[in-house]
Amino acid sequence: MARLAKGQATVNEIAEPFAMSLQAVSKHLKVLEVAGLISRGRDAQYRPCRFEPAPLEVATDWMTKNQQIWTERFDRLEQHLTHINHDQHKEKK
Amino acid sequence: MSEGPTVSGELTITRIFNARPEVVFECMTTPSHLTHFWGPIGISTPLSGIIVEPKPGGRFETLMVNDQSGEEYPMRGVFVEFDPPKKFSFTEAGVEGGMMTSIVFHDLGDGRTETVTHQTNVPPMLMSPEARQGLESSFVKMDEYLERL
Repeated sequence: MARLAKGQATVNEIAEPFAMSLQAVSKHLKVLEVAGLISRGRDAQYRPCRFEPAPLEVATDWMTKNQQIWTERFDRLEQHLTHINHDQHKEKK
Repeated sequence: MSEGPTVSGELTITRIFNARPEVVFECMTTPSHLTHFWGPIGISTPLSGIIVEPKPGGRFETLMVNDQSGEEYPMRGVFVEFDPPKKFSFTEAGVEGGMMTSIVFHDLGDGRTETVTHQTNVPPMLMSPEARQGLESSFVKMDEYLERL
C-alpha cells in the first residue's frame, strides 16, 4: 500500500522488496482489489495497480466521528461521577 | 498505547476517572446512570429507551435523541462479555457491517480507574463476503470460548 501511495505500479514492482513469490503477491493484491482499496489497469500483460483512497476515507471519517462521541460521552460521565461523589459526601454528613 | 483512529480500522480511547472500578462499571451498565451521560453533547438518552441485560448474550440497547432536531439514533448491542468490575464487551451486528466494542477497567489502586475502550469497526465497503464470514466465525468462536470459561 505504501508503494502504491507513491503512484501506480506493476505486480513485479510491488513484489520486488518482498521475499514472496509473485503468485503470493498477486493473491494479496486480489484481496485489496475485492475490498476496493486498489484498482487494476486494463493492460492485459501488466495490469498496473492503483491505490483507491475512498474506502479508507469513509473508514477514517467514521472513526473520527466515533472518537468524538466517546470523548464527549466520557466528559459527561466524569461530570456525573462528580455529582455522585458529591451526593455521597452529603449523605455522610 | 495508540490513541485515536488508525488505518487498521481500530479505535482506542484511554481515560482515567476519579472513582473506583465498581462505581465506573456500574455507571456504564445501569440505565438510571447511563441516561445522564450516554448521549454526547446535545443528545439525550431517555431512560425509557435503555435496555441492559447484564450477562453474555444479553441486550445492550439505547435510544439517543438529538435535542434540537428530535432525530433518533438507536443502538442495538449484544453483550459478549460481562465481567464486573473488570470488563464488558458488546457487538453491534447492524452497524456498518459489524462492530465490536470492549471496555476494560483497570483499578489504579488510589480510588481512580483507567478505562480502555477499544472499538473495531469494519465498514461495508471494506468488507468482502469472505471477510464477513471470517469475522462472524471468529465471533462464534469467541462465544463458544466464553461458554467454556
